[in-house]
Amino acid sequence: MSQPAIAVAGAAPFKGKRPATRSFWRNVLRRLLQDRFTMICFGVLMLIILAAIFAPLIAPHDPYRTSMARRLIAPGDARHWLGTDELGRDLLSRLIYGGRLSLFTGFTPVLLATLIGGALGVIAGYVGGAVNMLIMRVIDVFYAFPSVLLAVAISGVLGAGIGNTILSLTLVFIPPIARVAESVATQMRAQDFVEAARATGAANWRIVTAHVVPNVTGPILSYASSLISVSIVLASGLSFLGLGITPPEPEWGLMLNTLRQAIYVAPLNAIIPGAMIFVTSMCFNLMSDGLRSAMDVKQ
Amino acid sequence: MTRRSFLRLLSAASLTALTMMSAQHDRAWAQGKPGVLRVAMTAGDIPLTTGQPSQGGEGIRFMGITLYDGLTRWDLSKSDKAAQIIPALAESWVVNPADQKIWTFTLRKGVTFHDGSEFNADAVVWNLDKLMKKESPQFDQSQANQAASYFAPIASWRKIDDWTVEITTKRVDAVLPYNLASLFMSSPKRWEELGKDWAKFAEKPSGTGPWMLESFKPRERAELVRNPNHWDKTRITKSERLILLPMPDANTRVAALLSGQVDWIEAPPPDSVPRLKQQKMQIVTNLYPHIWPYQLSFLDDSPFKDIRIRKAANLAIDREGIAKMLGGLAVPAKGMVDDKHPWFGKPTFQIKYDPAQAKALLKEAGYGPDKPVKVKVIISPSGSGQMQPLPMNEFIKENFKDVGIDMEFEVMDWEALRTRRRLGADAPENKGRHGINNSWAYWDPDIGLIAAAGSFARVPVGFNWGDYKDAKADELALKAKAAFDAAEQNKILAELHTRLVDEAMWIWVVHDLNPRAMRPNVKGFVQAQSWFQDLTPVSVE
Amino acid sequence: MLIYVLRRILYTVPIAIGVSLVCFALIHLAPGDPLSSIIPEGASPETVAQIRTAYGFDRPLPVQYLKWLGHVVTGDFGTSIMTRRPVLSEVLPAIANTLTLAAAAVTFGFLLGCAFGVVSGYVAGTPTDRAVTAVSITGVSIPHYWLGMVLIVVFAVNLNLLPATGMGEGGSGSFGFGWDSLQYLILPALTLSVIPAGIIARSVRGTVAEVRKQDYMQTLYAKGLPGRRVFVHVVKNALPAVLAVMGLQLAQLLGGSILVETVFSWPGTGFLLNNAIFTRDLPMLQGTILVLAMFFVLINLLVDILQTAVDPRIKRA
Repeated sequence: MSQPAIAVAGAAPFKGKRPATRSFWRNVLRRLLQDRFTMICFGVLMLIILAAIFAPLIAPHDPYRTSMARRLIAPGDARHWLGTDELGRDLLSRLIYGGRLSLFTGFTPVLLATLIGGALGVIAGYVGGAVNMLIMRVIDVFYAFPSVLLAVAISGVLGAGIGNTILSLTLVFIPPIARVAESVATQMRAQDFVEAARATGAANWRIVTAHVVPNVTGPILSYASSLISVSIVLASGLSFLGLGITPPEPEWGLMLNTLRQAIYVAPLNAIIPGAMIFVTSMCFNLMSDGLRSAMDVKQ
Repeated sequence: MTRRSFLRLLSAASLTALTMMSAQHDRAWAQGKPGVLRVAMTAGDIPLTTGQPSQGGEGIRFMGITLYDGLTRWDLSKSDKAAQIIPALAESWVVNPADQKIWTFTLRKGVTFHDGSEFNADAVVWNLDKLMKKESPQFDQSQANQAASYFAPIASWRKIDDWTVEITTKRVDAVLPYNLASLFMSSPKRWEELGKDWAKFAEKPSGTGPWMLESFKPRERAELVRNPNHWDKTRITKSERLILLPMPDANTRVAALLSGQVDWIEAPPPDSVPRLKQQKMQIVTNLYPHIWPYQLSFLDDSPFKDIRIRKAANLAIDREGIAKMLGGLAVPAKGMVDDKHPWFGKPTFQIKYDPAQAKALLKEAGYGPDKPVKVKVIISPSGSGQMQPLPMNEFIKENFKDVGIDMEFEVMDWEALRTRRRLGADAPENKGRHGINNSWAYWDPDIGLIAAAGSFARVPVGFNWGDYKDAKADELALKAKAAFDAAEQNKILAELHTRLVDEAMWIWVVHDLNPRAMRPNVKGFVQAQSWFQDLTPVSVE
Repeated sequence: MLIYVLRRILYTVPIAIGVSLVCFALIHLAPGDPLSSIIPEGASPETVAQIRTAYGFDRPLPVQYLKWLGHVVTGDFGTSIMTRRPVLSEVLPAIANTLTLAAAAVTFGFLLGCAFGVVSGYVAGTPTDRAVTAVSITGVSIPHYWLGMVLIVVFAVNLNLLPATGMGEGGSGSFGFGWDSLQYLILPALTLSVIPAGIIARSVRGTVAEVRKQDYMQTLYAKGLPGRRVFVHVVKNALPAVLAVMGLQLAQLLGGSILVETVFSWPGTGFLLNNAIFTRDLPMLQGTILVLAMFFVLINLLVDILQTAVDPRIKRA
């Protein structure tokens, strides 16, 4: 599970010279589209996401239907392509449905943390002074915990459940995102055009929405995108420890947890959910890399 | 340096590592040593060593009856019938016919603690003080916490002479000898020698049991050695040394056994059994007083107030299917106790898989698959005696769905679930919860039947979680409490059990078969029908 | 420099206080009664109240916090509810074991990460770079507990090459530098090393690519300096950042090894923490988290100071 501090150090493509424009984003998009590697990952992810969204239409079987007669069928079966789990449920269907919760627990904490952490960071950076002091010191305290430890501690104390998982992961991700946002916003504050806007008496929120937010968006986006895979792996880890999603919902981490006892009789079945987590998280990481290099514009 | 030289360096490094691995490959861990028995426990830590072990039944199994003895003990030498209570440090006892609350115990002579000091009436009084007399210098809160349910019936105790002790119970209570089997005798002399410090005593404990603790490291291992001077010469340990290793993760235990790091594992997961058998491991199973149930709420908001729904739920479960899923390591339940148990009785309500009858009963109660009755139960993802709670619950949920019961889960960790059980169904936390999936023991009449059913035994004083009230059950329960003749008591308990099954007090699902797996060279183990097991006859060849 | 170090140390104090507050608050957010796990079956309400008073859970929260903090400052982290042993005496040996594992993992991670990072940094932008980067990204993408499971099945059970669990025949007490101890370290450390390997690889790649782009490197090349000398330059310039990453990774792994320790029954802090969570041993949980977080703060402080000392170009406010 990734170390946010490193990514923070790496994620400062903003050079403080030029406010982001529409053309900047158009350029980024163009570069992304040209990047075949990233597009492949994007394709795989879209496949997984669409399958999850349209699970009821695609899944060959009911993901909850158990059958003792058909338990732990090996992958490659004519009826169950990826085999069945310990309760005889179709693995492919459960993987497709499982994408819903796994992706949800991957995205939501990052999204929430981006909004909350981004807002906190922008406020701290733009307002500065005592407000900055207050916000950033509190952020620093949460930052002073190893990320996995913090997630496990919060989930361990609050107990299992999707709500608690999302809460604990959000808390883990807010500090690094807030730090990125704060550092960019602080730089923005000193920029000539912001000074100028102030001098003309523009309202603070106008300046923030027109100048600060667009410029903070890039670095945050680039950083947050790298957190999605961390979030997926971490959430599945919590499920694996019994601190995450609760049954009978299909979720990849939980499937891995319950299937692993079968690793000696049905090794492939037990390995499949882990491989699914791996592929998804890998694609997110490569996408994030692609996004970063597409945004890393050097004239 | 070029890219190629880099790759060359990398491959050289990995090659060196591999060579090192194979060259220096002495796999000391993979070979057991004759006379040394290495056991992987399911507990995450070494149970308390001072006398009253932590970690529940497993703690008593490995750190209670190994190092210590009680006044009575379980006879664990037979595998074909339920374990019975027999004399241990007390040779015999009598109940005062004039006042049945007064018991007189005659102690065994010639018993010494591991430190060589003598076991006598003073030691018994000292040990009971240790648990129940707060003013005594040797009082130990942590041991008292562990032993509270065992000493609960005891009101007072005193020494009559060096070899006689008198114990008075709070009310007439024929169950006392069962409780005494779990009250262990620590050495007063050792405690004095170590500066009256229980923390130091924990490092160097002294009891009268067949094993002596040599050393232990929290969460890692405990090493016990043979007590050559044990008073019962038939129970001098066959193995020289017993090593206990805490391994809470089931897969880790299997891997440890398969790779030869241990000789014996507790509770292998069912799906690992075919592989274990294939590698010639012994799988030992037996019935023991364990039931995997849903304890039900009888409050007004609970659908289970209606006996038809309770019966329907009991008939809706495909217990054979569950047993199959569990690799045959469970047997379908027909009541709280197994049907070979002396307390089973003759219930008229036959617990079996009969979805048609379940549907009929539900229809009578006004429900069906198109109009399901909604119930919410508390379950845990793991826990002692909980077996494979997640797949089992998911399976039963599907069974219920077929007949018209819509079961919703509230999942919480094992300790949280235990708290909820201790609070009772009417606690605010449990509002709207109609059942709790808490595995249960029936090793003594109290926990198994009397205090589980008696309306006088609501939690936390007893074990009646859901406010079950039945005048006939109450009458039988109190009668059993006052029956001192074992046969007579068993007869009354059988009547009580018959009543509880006919009333479908809980939803009973399966009895665990208590599986253990051992390497082929482990010999001499007899698996008793008990939560506890005797390791003294076990040898490693 | 000295002033910076002093300020940096001083700055750690409020953070430490904040961390202690979070640790304290965490426990009191917990649903359920922390006493539940020690209250015996069938205890009367009086007994419950008595035990509650004995453990100090009946006082108002601020009082409990200050009292607790006072104890913590004097090195008394409380007593485990389950074992009645002092928390600190449980946590410290566990930290030593986790540090052993984490140090081995970071070392493996360093070797793997540098190899991958330098290769892809040297050829930044090419398909080879993308491929190597993809492999190194595997490290941060893979659910490592799952990898651990697979490694156990393959190497311990099927091939029977390495032991599956624990720290050796004598346990952590007799853990040493011999092969009979180190063989127990290989699988868990390898499993854990995929994270630092991935992160170090990314960081090394970035630094190497950056350094190679810089003007003076081009000059060195133009001067016709042999590849080896150029490489030394690259390493010199990349080293401070990589060392910092390693330090931080070591710190992260202190708290991040919980899953791997669970899979391998490694008697470190993760194993301790997992146990504390599932037995709801709140003093133990609190103490372990606090000690780990303090270690984390401390290692971060050291890394910061060292980095400033090694590389004076880093100027901080």
